[in-house]
Amino acid sequence: MFFVDFFYTLKNYGVPTTTQYILELQEGLKRGLAGNVDDLYNLLRLICVKRIEHLDNFDRAFSKYFYGIELPASGEMTDLNKLLENKPFREWLETQIKEGNLEPAEIHWKLPPEELFRRFLKTFEEQTEAHHGGNKWIGTGGTSPYGHSGNSYGGIRVYGESERQSALKTIGERRYINYSDNAGLRAENIRQVLGTFKNMVPIGPKTDLDLDETVYRTAKNAGELEFIFKPELRDNIRVALLIDNGGYSMSRYVSIVSLVFSKIKDRFKDLSTYYFRNCIYGNLFSDPQRIKKHPTKKFLSENPDTRVLIIGDASMAPEELFTPRGAIEYGVDDTEPGMVWLQRIRDRFSYSVWLNPIRSIYWSERYGNRTLREIRQIYHMEDLTLGGIKNAVTYLNEQG
Amino acid sequence: MGNCRGVGKNIRMTIKEVTRIMSPAEEMTRDEEVTGFAGTDRYFLAPELGSIVNIALVMGKPLLLMGEAGTGKTQLAFEVARALSMNIYVARCKSTMKGEELCYDHDTVARLYESRFGSAETGRDPAKFDDYIVYGPIGKAFLAEEKGVLLLDEIDKTESDVQDNLLDILEDYEFTIREIDRRISAKNKPFIVITSNAKKELSDPFLRRCYCHYIEFPTPDQMRQIILLHYPKTSEKLVSVALDIFYDLREQGFEKSPATSEILNWIGALEHEGISPSDLRKKSYRERVPFLGVLLKRAGDIQAYTDNYNGQHNPNSFRERGY
Repeated sequence: MFFVDFFYTLKNYGVPTTTQYILELQEGLKRGLAGNVDDLYNLLRLICVKRIEHLDNFDRAFSKYFYGIELPASGEMTDLNKLLENKPFREWLETQIKEGNLEPAEIHWKLPPEELFRRFLKTFEEQTEAHHGGNKWIGTGGTSPYGHSGNSYGGIRVYGESERQSALKTIGERRYINYSDNAGLRAENIRQVLGTFKNMVPIGPKTDLDLDETVYRTAKNAGELEFIFKPELRDNIRVALLIDNGGYSMSRYVSIVSLVFSKIKDRFKDLSTYYFRNCIYGNLFSDPQRIKKHPTKKFLSENPDTRVLIIGDASMAPEELFTPRGAIEYGVDDTEPGMVWLQRIRDRFSYSVWLNPIRSIYWSERYGNRTLREIRQIYHMEDLTLGGIKNAVTYLNEQG
Repeated sequence: MGNCRGVGKNIRMTIKEVTRIMSPAEEMTRDEEVTGFAGTDRYFLAPELGSIVNIALVMGKPLLLMGEAGTGKTQLAFEVARALSMNIYVARCKSTMKGEELCYDHDTVARLYESRFGSAETGRDPAKFDDYIVYGPIGKAFLAEEKGVLLLDEIDKTESDVQDNLLDILEDYEFTIREIDRRISAKNKPFIVITSNAKKELSDPFLRRCYCHYIEFPTPDQMRQIILLHYPKTSEKLVSVALDIFYDLREQGFEKSPATSEILNWIGALEHEGISPSDLRKKSYRERVPFLGVLLKRAGDIQAYTDNYNGQHNPNSFRERGY
């Protein structure tokens, strides 16, 4: 058994593993699939990583186990210094200075940390290649039977020989960071989540043969055939999106919210969108400029099956939420406090959820945490991360 | 894992282990003859992907490819089949599918009809269930005399219970004809390629049975090679200018970003019309990009492009839409 402890490293990094995977790896090694470190990386990755959000942690575990480099979690990624505190990097840096390849002054003033780390990876790679004769150390003469990249295969042209990416370099690029569960949202990963959001009901043309009914009717008909058809199940989900698009506090989230919005728009045929500023009162607005009024009462008369997604930071001055005439915007019908309206929407639509662009870890400390807390009493709230939207969708699917 | 693992030491140990496993004395055991796949004369294969295809082939595991449209997921299955001279069985998934019809269908209507009005013309016997079985792509692939490629295209369009129905197929290469309780096993396990646009999350048990790979959108360099595969005579310069414009358009966040097939068609159009690189550069700055409709498919996108281009404020453009 080889690399069994690697699977424990994986587990420590939060990537689920099973005994089956360990056995699969042994089988893969037996079949000669780990010709070099890159192939071993690919093999392990295929065996162990089933969800894209685990890829980043897999990379971290791989790097830790095989290279002794600890990469920070994606949330800490901005802090490159953490990366530079790794022991192998410090050792490398010391050697470089000792050998005169780098001047201490140069390190402090001239070279950005990214460049330093890149050089480190390069030297590191060359080292491993030198020690082990590059691809040849596997004993297959450098051309594994399942080889790729640079090997010509039965007269078929192969491209990209210069593009061979080493496992380490690939890891260094952190290509899959977008998909980590706690990562912010990107265009690629939203679709993945919204896909689970469905409501199947029998509608549309009757195209499915209802066999039981057909046999029954035919028998009743003295054997004279009578075919009975029934409608098939189709997705019939209605979604209403209420977006807080006003106020300074929301402005920093504009790009992420518009991204989510455009994806939601793509996904659902039956979608209505309304806008509000900070809190909801007597009127919603059907245009982003908030000129065309749409009475909230009218909205409240929509089908109670509608899935309601409210996107907003839920952060405001307490009087905006609790006092009549608390709205800060001029001309808003707010004879009743915002909280009352929020409660009404909640009562009407059992499939409703609040999505907050503020990360959940900051919910208790940011400006407006009081109103945020109050709104959470009424609405199930999630943040606008991949995991948050996923939870929200799961929550909505479980309602009713 | 403790922190004590030295870098070099770790690698050396690793390699020793691998080398020991790989010693020539140990013969590899394989169920069936498998040849490697290394791209074809019209399909650009990123090295990483090549390695992944071969691992899946050798391990006899279904390969699940994810990624946005235009990354060549579906095409890969066809090219593997072509390169290895295998037959390909294609199942295009729809949201209304139940999964069973991919294996087999029973033509109940025909059977009822023929039992009533006679089956002299078709020669089938309404008393025999077998006569009315119609095999779907999975059934055909399993019953084939030679190993083939089985493509389950856009699996994410199906419901999650469909994916559950497919578990036996991915795991044991078997399915049951329910009505007569007959088990059909693959004569030769096909190489299963599954594609997904990530419209819907796939279930855990389903994923566990696959090798999953996410295909990134090609980098400009890779795209250049893809273009040259399709248009070997195109001038490098034209391709460079076109790539600049193409990736610039992709950056702009249109509803439907242009993808590989779009740029290939576009290059074809440019070539056919004999537009020179300098023309193209000039035109894309002075007028609008020639044959824009080849790159952008949605009316809204084209409108947004034109408006941005003319420097007009446009409430429908992506960045302003809704915000």
